[in-house]
Amino acid sequence: MRIIKLCSVFAIICTIFAITGCANDSKADSSPSSSQGKVKLVFWSHQEDAFMNAYKKVISDYEALHPDVSIDYQTFPYDVYNQKLKASFSAKSPPDIAEMFGTWVPEYSKNGLLAEIPGSEQLQTEYYEAPLGGYTLNGKLYGLPLEFNIENGGMLIHPEMLKEHGIANPPATWDELVADAKLLTVRDGKRIKVKGFDFVSGDNITFTFLSMILQQNGKYWGEDDHVNFQTPEAQKAMSALTDLVANDKVADLTTFGGELDTSDYFFQGRSAMTYRGPWTVAAGLNTYKVKDFEYVPVPSFTTNPPSFSAESGWGIVASEKSKQQKAAVDFITYMSSNDNLLAWNQSTFTVPAKKAVAENPEFLKSNPYMKTSLDILQLGKWIGPIADRDFFFKTINDHFQLMATGQEAVEKGLQNIEKTINESQDQHK
Amino acid sequence: MNLDTATGRNKGIEPGIERPGRKNGRKFIYLSLAPVLLLFGVFAFLPIGWSLGLSVFKYNPLSGSALFVGADNYIRMLGDSVFLKSLWVTFKFVIIAVMVNIIITLMIAVAIQRIRSGWLRSLMRTLFFLPTIAPLAGTAIVWSTMFNFNHGLFNILLDKMHMAPIQWLSDPHYALYSVIMMTLWADIGYNIVLFIAGLDSIPEMYYEAAILDGASRWHIFKDITLPLLRRSMLFISVTTVVSYFQAFAQFQIMTKGEPFNETRVLALHIYEQAFSNSNMGYASAMATVFLMIILVVTLLQLKWGRTEWEY
Repeated sequence: MRIIKLCSVFAIICTIFAITGCANDSKADSSPSSSQGKVKLVFWSHQEDAFMNAYKKVISDYEALHPDVSIDYQTFPYDVYNQKLKASFSAKSPPDIAEMFGTWVPEYSKNGLLAEIPGSEQLQTEYYEAPLGGYTLNGKLYGLPLEFNIENGGMLIHPEMLKEHGIANPPATWDELVADAKLLTVRDGKRIKVKGFDFVSGDNITFTFLSMILQQNGKYWGEDDHVNFQTPEAQKAMSALTDLVANDKVADLTTFGGELDTSDYFFQGRSAMTYRGPWTVAAGLNTYKVKDFEYVPVPSFTTNPPSFSAESGWGIVASEKSKQQKAAVDFITYMSSNDNLLAWNQSTFTVPAKKAVAENPEFLKSNPYMKTSLDILQLGKWIGPIADRDFFFKTINDHFQLMATGQEAVEKGLQNIEKTINESQDQHK
Repeated sequence: MNLDTATGRNKGIEPGIERPGRKNGRKFIYLSLAPVLLLFGVFAFLPIGWSLGLSVFKYNPLSGSALFVGADNYIRMLGDSVFLKSLWVTFKFVIIAVMVNIIITLMIAVAIQRIRSGWLRSLMRTLFFLPTIAPLAGTAIVWSTMFNFNHGLFNILLDKMHMAPIQWLSDPHYALYSVIMMTLWADIGYNIVLFIAGLDSIPEMYYEAAILDGASRWHIFKDITLPLLRRSMLFISVTTVVSYFQAFAQFQIMTKGEPFNETRVLALHIYEQAFSNSNMGYASAMATVFLMIILVVTLLQLKWGRTEWEY
């Protein structure tokens, strides 16, 4: 009988452990707490040295100004950050403040998970349209962008390589760009040793494709948040893009999805012109310690201005569930002041999302490579209501590779992209 | 034959005396099993049931509401080229990796068993088992650096042999085989130990008889060792197949399913659909199909590998 009693007790203990383990423990989550009269905020961001150092500086300044507030800053590797955020918001234990990529924000804001930032009307006049797009829902703001994520409009070039091939200036038209790229491509047997114009990266295939549609005065959004890639503009853009790999052979797919970024290959001298955002300049200067490069404008695909598709980039949001929502929003407002944003953009080598910061001469003086990007900020168009950013880009990238290698015709590829993306859009409604 | 004795034996115990003992015995069994069943129920059967239920809903965990869609998620799979591709990649990975694993581990086990020196035999067994102790995630990171295009060990070796470097993890022709190579290195120790145990349990008299009959080494291996290892082989193949069907960490760390989805195994695809794309219902439907596939494959293995004898 003693054994039976012991077993019964053990079974009860197991049941209690299982129930308490599965229950939502409000004390153990990452929600804020007030201890010893101090407001404690939890702030999450992804891990990148420049970003982390910039955040730490702002946090330390804020805490010095607000002795009653303490901010617990936690960081996570980029690869798991999106999943970590989704899991925390789904489990109703989100951080008070979170760094979010602008394109991720609508999924949270439309489900009522983010706190509204007061003063939407005024703020909308202070920021560029493209970076604000992801944070706006029904005319209200649910977070503020810290940067203008711009992957188009500018490219890295090696002026010496251009000179060696008799090219005096960077290309001024798309035809010149293709012709120069052909000249600059160096082959070693069947392999490309130096790519003439490398645009084959996870971000740039999609951004270039969408921007080429815009530059033909075309549209890629249809009704009901569906994409429309069955237009002549989309066909022409994708054909030109796949031609660069298949026919012009100025780039290839060998390094796509590899360990290094296209900008790394550029700084290693393995491409003459590389289409990438200005943020990559920092790696050239700091990691590769090279200065023999320039960041120049990319010509428009047509005679129209080089308008481009852009995302909201990294920004910060406050959780609607936060018990210290007021303090969290106050921190966001503090961080978005002109002075703090100027310092943040300078130290992270990012393009300002706020007009006053972009127009501040001090910013250009500290980052002269930014001139190309700053000159075209007004031409940036918000990429649109993408429900799942990673899936959207991956779908275009996957089919681009099939089209560029002749495994799928451009027309069929665009149909497949449209069908797959629209299914994903519907899944998130 | 004295049937009375047999029947009398059954009647020998009075029902009144037997019943309380049996009752208590049953209680003891139920109560002893209760904690384990409870843990299994909460952490194994309940999630499976929950997943089955979710598979007929369109559910985004951020929205908090679920829409009943019936069999839509299952129908969607038939037209989902990435799902079909990942199914193909999974089978390709399992078939190649399991076959190579069993061949290599059996050969090594036979070789180790032939070592006469006891300490050397133990040393070899330990050496081959060591990689199994290391966490798979750590092993995957180390192998990723060895596969690095610019500074990885394998390309350094190719360079020494004046051969062109290979994009081990980003070339669609090599990526899956690179991951298989790493998986085999990390995993063979366990099966080697099991095979050695199986080989040790084969009675020596069969080998002695075969030698007396003048059988060659190959015939001894083919006609005695292999047939008598069938039970061990069945256990090893079933556990290895199930384990490789569920392979995830090495793919998530080394390739993330790329390039061209050539390393997108089903476990990784399900994870991404659920936690990156927030398609929890669709991911659950895929998980259900995956569960059925593993179940059918395992049942087939058990049926085909069944033995009716003992030694």
